[in-house]
Amino acid sequence: MDKLDSASLDIEKLNETDKAQLRQFLQNENQKARIYSSVHSLTDMCFRKCITGTIKNDKLDKNEEGCLANCAERFFDLRALTVKHLQDMRQD
Amino acid sequence: MDSEATKTEFIRQVRTEFALENAKQLIEKINEHCFERCVPKPGASLSSSEQTCANQCMEKYLSAWNHINATYIRRLQREG
Repeated sequence: MDKLDSASLDIEKLNETDKAQLRQFLQNENQKARIYSSVHSLTDMCFRKCITGTIKNDKLDKNEEGCLANCAERFFDLRALTVKHLQDMRQD
Repeated sequence: MDSEATKTEFIRQVRTEFALENAKQLIEKINEHCFERCVPKPGASLSSSEQTCANQCMEKYLSAWNHINATYIRRLQREG
């Protein structure tokens, strides 16, 4: 957070309760950012897979919507498979 | 600055920072996809059909992003 204007903000002078509150807030924002980062990555891949051909209008049709949802869900499924596979490998 | 004002300002700055980062990523992705889709052979300027395509592409990408976001969050809630 080096872009923060910390010169005018005296975070250090806050009491422990306030500091804990801000720490929690930062944790939440970081988690949100991680989710958005994954969504960016997923949208990148799934847009390529699901919106094919020339772009004729500005709305997603039912097929494209279905494909996008499937794409995200299957990505999760594959991730679970990958984790399991690696766990199984460690057992051997 | 009293502590309430300090906290509020801190929260505001952090939220802005994160929102900017998110917007940057989104702009970068939209630009890559829509350039690829709509400007296959770059000319001396953007033609009106290229601009129309780009606008439609942006709208579609944003809708796709929202749809994936909703699906992702639903799945996270299911899996914990």
